[in-house]
Amino acid sequence: MEMHPRVLDYTHSDLDGVIPDEAELTTGFRIVPGSSYGFFTDTTVCIGCKACEVACKEWNNLPADHLGLTGDSYDNTGALSANTWRHVNFIESAVRTDLEQPFQSGWLMMSDVCKHCHNAPCLEACPTGALFRTEFDTVVVQQDICNGCGYCVPACPFGVVDVSTLDGKAHKCTLCYDRLKGGLEPACAKACPTDSIQFGEISELHLRAHQRVTELQEAGVASAYLYGMPDGPGATGGLEHLNAFFLLTARPEVYNLPTAPTRPANRVVPSLAAGLAAVAGLALAAVAIFSRAQ
Amino acid sequence: MPEGIDPGGELGGWNGRTYYGRPQVKPAPFENSVVGSYVFLAGLSGAAQLLAGLLDLTRGPAAERTVRRGRLLSLLAPTIGSACLIFDLHTPKRFYNMLRVAKGTSPMSIGTWILMGFSGSSLLTTAAHLVSDRVPGLRWLRSVARVAQVPAAAAGAGLSTYTASLLSATSTPLWAAAPKGLAVRFGASAVASGAAALGLGERRSRTGRDLDSIAVAALAVELAATLASEERYRATGVDRALDSAAGKADQLAGTGFGVVLPLGLYTASLLLSRRRSRTLTTAAALAVLGGGLAMRIGVMAAGDESARRPEISMGFAQPENL
Repeated sequence: MEMHPRVLDYTHSDLDGVIPDEAELTTGFRIVPGSSYGFFTDTTVCIGCKACEVACKEWNNLPADHLGLTGDSYDNTGALSANTWRHVNFIESAVRTDLEQPFQSGWLMMSDVCKHCHNAPCLEACPTGALFRTEFDTVVVQQDICNGCGYCVPACPFGVVDVSTLDGKAHKCTLCYDRLKGGLEPACAKACPTDSIQFGEISELHLRAHQRVTELQEAGVASAYLYGMPDGPGATGGLEHLNAFFLLTARPEVYNLPTAPTRPANRVVPSLAAGLAAVAGLALAAVAIFSRAQ
Repeated sequence: MPEGIDPGGELGGWNGRTYYGRPQVKPAPFENSVVGSYVFLAGLSGAAQLLAGLLDLTRGPAAERTVRRGRLLSLLAPTIGSACLIFDLHTPKRFYNMLRVAKGTSPMSIGTWILMGFSGSSLLTTAAHLVSDRVPGLRWLRSVARVAQVPAAAAGAGLSTYTASLLSATSTPLWAAAPKGLAVRFGASAVASGAAALGLGERRSRTGRDLDSIAVAALAVELAATLASEERYRATGVDRALDSAAGKADQLAGTGFGVVLPLGLYTASLLLSRRRSRTLTTAAALAVLGGGLAMRIGVMAAGDESARRPEISMGFAQPENL
């Protein structure tokens, strides 16, 4: 594996401060405002270690949701929530037969996260402007603005955003907005030991993802496909594309993802028009009734 | 790579499997009785102001008392309704942040400005009307009320129906499945509530019968929209959420008690005699108002149920429903 030459400048384990543009050392490029960034999560190399969950909790100082066992395979996290911004799904999809499976036997694992949608329904629904699009093309809740109306929660087609019962504000993955501003790679991607979570510039990630699918299909994994690519599964109905997209090998529903989500804002005009037309029609009827001769 | 929206191909169609039965979308964190009450009061206030304005323009002084009652009813949304909305925020002291932006993609933002416009114009109309009645030197305020009632009535029309748009512009399957049907239902129910509430205190037989006729028309529209919506729910598979307690409450209390029963009572009162039956119309009006409130709360709760059940949300998020 190649290392960036700048790595040699930082060989001590205790550093005086943050390494300038540290992302260059960990990902190979500098983070610049004005570019689109996201995650490519390749589920075929996920080993279910949950380092992403831990790194996320550590960096963002998030409390535990619940302690205990769910009984659902190794998934004791349960779901994305106000305090959990990475969640590893575990699917024991098939019993191993005597035939050697070409790939991963019966285990599927996927680290789920906010999709940072191109047309983000949470952002479009937010009535206070607390949710905004950053200079890195990610979607973030401004905690000093949010008044906890909770409208972003049902708006999200992926069940990501949640209102915290601790502080009464909406919370979700910020794609480590603070780290990006400081030139660091997001915590989950940096912690991922198998590079299942890859952080990068969107068009670059798209290329890498297409290559990976081709590679897998050539290796005999015919079921490999991408979820969240422009107008593909996961980015339907006006969502256009997801800045955090996934390589999957089973149907989206298996990973608790919708196949064909929609952009809720597309329903605003039809419903307002239909409602106003009905009221206007009844108002005209009222005028006719009131004006009847006695 | 499989082409198109549905991964299909090698993977086959969706076999109904979910992720350990866990919800795939999150239900809205709204307190249904509180927000449902707001939706009901917004509809009632908006429609009362609209009907009062139309009555004032068509009948003038002959309908004075009814118009005044409509003005007073229109104050329900700006007062109790707004209080319900602020109470439901998880950080209520920041309610004014709603006024930071105006966003066409967010019915909650659109609604904030409709409610602001309605509150302003309705308060002005009502205040001008009441003062002109009581202070002889200020009779000219009556014409101020007459002008201000026009924007108030227009905002009232928006207020009575935007709440359906607010619910439909989400990923909650039941709300998203029939945006037009839900909007017509809410709008028609609001007009029926307004006419019923105005008709409750009506002593003059003519205005009373007119209001009853409007209520009948509105209830008929609401019933048609309800049936059309249920057809759409069946086609998209979200009708399973109606089997829940909340769904049954919506159907029995909202539609049965709130639409079908008063439709019968009003029609009986209109057809049976020339004189307006106070008993029949009072019973009908109370059923409309109670049913309208139950329908709003029932729709919200049944929507939450549809969001909590992954087989409903995943079944709805299939390419054929795009």
